[in-house]
Amino acid sequence: MPEAALREPSRSSTRRQVIAPVAWGAGATLVLSVLILVGSRNLAHFDAALVGYTFSVLFATFGLTYRYAMWLQRPPTAMYWRRGWQAFLRPGWRRRNAGMWFRRVAEDVVANRFIFARNRLRGLTHMLIMWGCLIAVAITFPLVFGWLHFRPVPGDLSLYEAVAFGFPAFRFPHDSAIAFFLFHGLVWASFLVIAGVMLAVRRRMRDEGAAAVQRFAEDFMPLILLFAVSLTGLMLTASYTWMGGYAYTFIAILHAITVIGTFLWLPFGKFFHIFQRPAQLGVGFYKDAGRAQALAHCRRCGHAFSSRMHIEDLIEVEHQLGFTYEIPGDDGHYQWICPRCRRASLAMAQGALWRGRRGGTPLPDTRPLPMPVHVNPGLRQGPLGVEDADNFYP
Amino acid sequence: MNGPARTTDTTPPLDRETIGAFGPHLAYAKDGRLDTGIEPDKYVKTHCCFCGQQCGMQLKVKDNVVIGVEPWYEFPFNKGMMCPKGIKRYLQQAHPDRLLHAYAKDAGATGGFRAMAYDAAIRQTAEAIDRIQSTHGNDAFAVLSGASLTTEKTYVMGKFAHMCLRTAHIDYNGRLCMVSAAAGNKKAFGIDRAANPWEDILGAGVILVSGANIAECAPITTNYVWQAREQGAKVIVVDPRITPIARTCDLFLPVKPGRDTALFNGILHLMIEHDWIDHAFLEQHTVGFEAVAASVREWTPQRTAEVTGIAVKSIQQAAEWWGTAETSFLCHARGLEHHSNGVKNVMSAINIVLASGRIGRPNCGYATITGQGNGQGGREHGQKCDQLPGGRDLANPEHREYVAGVWGMDPAALPQPGVDAYEIIRKIDTGEIKGLLSLCFNPVVSLPDSHFVRQALEKLDFYVVIDFFLSESARYAHIVLPGSLHEEDEGTVTQTEGRVVRINKAVECPGEARPDWQIIQDIAKALGREQGLTFESPREMFEELRVASKGGIADYSGISYERIEEHYGVFWPCPSDVPDGVPLPGPQGTVRLFEPGSWNPVARGAGPFYFPDGKARLNVTPYVGPAEDVDEEFPIILTTGRVVSQFLSGNQTRRIGPLVDHCPEPRIEMHPRLAARLGIADGDWATAESRRGHCTLRASVVTTIRPDTVFIPYHWPGRKSANQLTIAAQDPISKIPEYKVCAVRVRKADAPPEYAAALEPQQ
Amino acid sequence: MPVPDALEFFIDPGRCIGCQACIQACTECDTHKGQSMIQLDYVDRAHSTQTVPVVCLHCDSPTCAEVCPADAIKRTEDGIVQTARKPRCIACNNCVLACPFGVPKMQTKMNLMMKCDMCYDRTSVGLKPWCASACPSQALAFGTREEMARLRPHAKPVNTFQFGRQTIRTKVNIMVPRDAPTDIVDVTASMHEPTIGREILDDVFMERPDGGDA
Repeated sequence: MPEAALREPSRSSTRRQVIAPVAWGAGATLVLSVLILVGSRNLAHFDAALVGYTFSVLFATFGLTYRYAMWLQRPPTAMYWRRGWQAFLRPGWRRRNAGMWFRRVAEDVVANRFIFARNRLRGLTHMLIMWGCLIAVAITFPLVFGWLHFRPVPGDLSLYEAVAFGFPAFRFPHDSAIAFFLFHGLVWASFLVIAGVMLAVRRRMRDEGAAAVQRFAEDFMPLILLFAVSLTGLMLTASYTWMGGYAYTFIAILHAITVIGTFLWLPFGKFFHIFQRPAQLGVGFYKDAGRAQALAHCRRCGHAFSSRMHIEDLIEVEHQLGFTYEIPGDDGHYQWICPRCRRASLAMAQGALWRGRRGGTPLPDTRPLPMPVHVNPGLRQGPLGVEDADNFYP
Repeated sequence: MNGPARTTDTTPPLDRETIGAFGPHLAYAKDGRLDTGIEPDKYVKTHCCFCGQQCGMQLKVKDNVVIGVEPWYEFPFNKGMMCPKGIKRYLQQAHPDRLLHAYAKDAGATGGFRAMAYDAAIRQTAEAIDRIQSTHGNDAFAVLSGASLTTEKTYVMGKFAHMCLRTAHIDYNGRLCMVSAAAGNKKAFGIDRAANPWEDILGAGVILVSGANIAECAPITTNYVWQAREQGAKVIVVDPRITPIARTCDLFLPVKPGRDTALFNGILHLMIEHDWIDHAFLEQHTVGFEAVAASVREWTPQRTAEVTGIAVKSIQQAAEWWGTAETSFLCHARGLEHHSNGVKNVMSAINIVLASGRIGRPNCGYATITGQGNGQGGREHGQKCDQLPGGRDLANPEHREYVAGVWGMDPAALPQPGVDAYEIIRKIDTGEIKGLLSLCFNPVVSLPDSHFVRQALEKLDFYVVIDFFLSESARYAHIVLPGSLHEEDEGTVTQTEGRVVRINKAVECPGEARPDWQIIQDIAKALGREQGLTFESPREMFEELRVASKGGIADYSGISYERIEEHYGVFWPCPSDVPDGVPLPGPQGTVRLFEPGSWNPVARGAGPFYFPDGKARLNVTPYVGPAEDVDEEFPIILTTGRVVSQFLSGNQTRRIGPLVDHCPEPRIEMHPRLAARLGIADGDWATAESRRGHCTLRASVVTTIRPDTVFIPYHWPGRKSANQLTIAAQDPISKIPEYKVCAVRVRKADAPPEYAAALEPQQ
Repeated sequence: MPVPDALEFFIDPGRCIGCQACIQACTECDTHKGQSMIQLDYVDRAHSTQTVPVVCLHCDSPTCAEVCPADAIKRTEDGIVQTARKPRCIACNNCVLACPFGVPKMQTKMNLMMKCDMCYDRTSVGLKPWCASACPSQALAFGTREEMARLRPHAKPVNTFQFGRQTIRTKVNIMVPRDAPTDIVDVTASMHEPTIGREILDDVFMERPDGGDA
């Protein structure tokens, strides 16, 4: 697929629309800086060797927040953002929604159920990469920000103590299995990531379908970065464990470069989905709310096909985007026509142009017209999915 | 015909154990067939096994499994086009229901059959054949073969019956398919082959499609018809149902089932009245016009309309378009042929072609659309009850002598012509035939009046079936031998245009299964009569077939595997040598028949048609109604047919998941006016009952069928089988059964049928 | 590689026979193996066998992409509107409801919208898409404009559609009569038209009031 092939949907960009995201980005960066200062007791526990990492994280924070705020300004995103929160915080539904939130986080985020539904191997791939990254982040960020450090317990040199935000958390013997496990946390994380990256690359190398649509920057770059981070990290461990620190400094710099590069890449490429994806939770609450409300009935066949709220919101969004699907007369707006009837209408419009040239006549008119039905009755049971049923009748 | 409904109901009780053991189960693409990262070992150019058009396609093969399909754009007939059956045919291979061993009937075994060693099964088969033939005579053992086999196999089947078994009784399931067209063509033209290649459809000004649901039964032909329409052709469709192609054709004639002869007589009447006929052609190239003209005098538009149920105006319009056309193409299929007067129907259609003089020229033609995979080739080389290779006659002493000479046997030892497939069943019923071998034939599902067929099969002393899946008929067998799928063997097939094409082997037979011809030869050997049945390969059979067909009408002597592959098929007749001064056919063989000045071995230069005088015959076709017409007791016409996703008795296609999803079960199609009278709504269970049986199916209430007719597709077995109702009346000449008309009564069912809750729809 | 400019997709629903070859063929496509992206509906089966096959028409300015809150739908420079980016799609259904042609399919369990990408694995290397390769009626056809003009001399391809006040231009063409008075197919104008088919009369001697054949 060509590199510069993307055509971003048109959007007006006035100065105000840029200023707000810049402000959000600056604000978030500031908040994180303050937290670093506080959490490390005025940099008392801050490891000066990690300063490069800290600044790259601060930059990524700015970039991510800016991009997120820009993204939220797009009419459809803004609509979903607003409606998602409204649906979540709806009076009388909050207890249920809180429960649903945990369930959805467990199913979608923790278990990646929807990815396993696409393909088991892809589910496993994502799971390995995701958990590898999460573990690594959970270990390194507190260390880098000085929020967490370990110290020998004064008086008993066989014990280590973990200190979080300046407060002693727990103690453990330095030659114990726990210690080995904890101090090698990044090794375990890199094993997971490397296994996941291998699976992902294997798929991208051999799959004909993936080959047709994948692009280097979007699909290979993130895998290369993750692999580089994991590999250089492991090399560090190998260097000080078995090789007496051979080339340690060089490897450390190399590792820092890969990590910092990955952070800088976060707001731009595929990694942005990590921050975007939770919107899926909002969509769930929006659909729940829609199911409980009035339905939209197709103005051609009379059948319900979505929630009224969704259709009305889409009409608003389309208006903001500059679309003019308004239809004079009773139909009002094309958005009130269900997808099946839209497809049928296309054939009717083409057929009308051929009238008198090809055989057949329009058959007796009934209103509403019958709902078009998919020709394959097995689609609901067969391997092709139940997509229509799940979506058109909330 | 007005007797009480016969009560013998032989449908076996629901047998979930056999179904559990042998299927039909549904295969879907999974694992390697869904993996888009697999590089196939090879792409095998071959043809679809699921109809007579034989679309070219490429099978993707990996590790002896057909994992998918790829269009073969260069093959000229279909240029990559395929119908849903063709696209999903790969799922029949490596199927869980595939028979991997020989089986013997064993009431104690799971599913009623016990796996046994192949050699022992062959030995038992040979012993049973020998016992029956030595006790009751050679003719007490019959053979039923099929028209979906390669031509090589059909040749071997004929040779096996006539030379090894020396039984008179071999026939094939083409008897249920195209034989009326074959007989009509022989009577009119002296040769049985589509007169024109499909290319001639493209340039035709008027296309008349009679009794052919092209969209569902020959989907690729649709593009030819629409392509012609794009260039200005007018399309006339004759059918009791508004099929997809009839929906937007230019003129639709909703004929009452069984009245086709009347329609064509009526059209010819108008052609004569308006002098829309080619006198010069009739004079020069035909005989019999005067008698035919006299016989259609009574077929005024008014009378034609009364009989056919078609409006006078439409009949006049059809006659005018057909009569005044510059170029034209008439094609028909089973709708015209599946009748007790099927040959007459065909000849009446040919009469309007001959009267127009538009045949044997570019863009002017006539053809029957064959239904089975090798519907054309399967009826040419000796597996028909009265036939020898090359389209020769078993009753003709010269032909007997020639073929006996090729086979190295005494002509006197060749049996005399036997009886047709249904008559074989009747002879089994009366006890005259004691043993049966069937291959590529599922009579329990495909023959009419299936209760009678079942009852007969149960009487057999010995029944051996060669099949790749345990078909419904195989459940009546004593021994089942594991045969080969289309993709497991090679050979040639002759498709609907008369084009001989190459079937290439994609995978090896699994387990103990082996190519059908090897099984036949193994039986011959076990009988100690292997003379002439020691072929090593299909190519060897083809080489002998070339010699055996040489000089016959269906002359393949000039065709070779290499020539086929080089020219994307070769049209027969393709003689290897002809008298001096006569040009040999071009590299593609004889693409178009009856061209002015063409030579053939019958006319020997006297004219283009295959009679000694070189002239075509117009045959008088007096209208005779269907064998069983409606009456007060059974007031509705039942007609049967196909759906696009299933093939014949469904032994293969009912095991392919995506095709079953497409049309999971048969429905009884009826017009809302009829449904309203019967109190039936769309989706209700409705019971159709004839004098022979009854059948409860869901109703499909649609205005796309005549209000006096109901339609049931025939691909399903047991309680869903349309052939429980159909009548075994046959055409006196072609012996084709009358699948397209019988009388039924329909009512709303009291309750859903027992099977509805117990079985999957395809079972 | 981009899809070659000279090769175009042409739809003629009037040719469609509803055989489902396109559906079965679509499941063989490498970019979504096992799933059909084809929308094939009976307009009104009780009265007619009319079917309408719809593949993605690949709008110049795709409504589906514009209404996507997740920026998941992208159009490549060769004019192909690609299926949703898997990491981004949040299955909100906006595209399904907004597409003027009713094309996208939502796989709820996968949290993923999938749509026709004109068999990008095939067309990007110059092959025909699966559906247009197989289609026995060539209601779905793929080739050059010259080829189409030669094969269908009385028809012309049109790629502009009207929906109320909205005009949409697409990469895919639909076939209309050559001498049609317009180069725009007005979809909403014919929206309430009944299905096209025929009627069979009980009494063949009763002429139809509108003069059609029985």
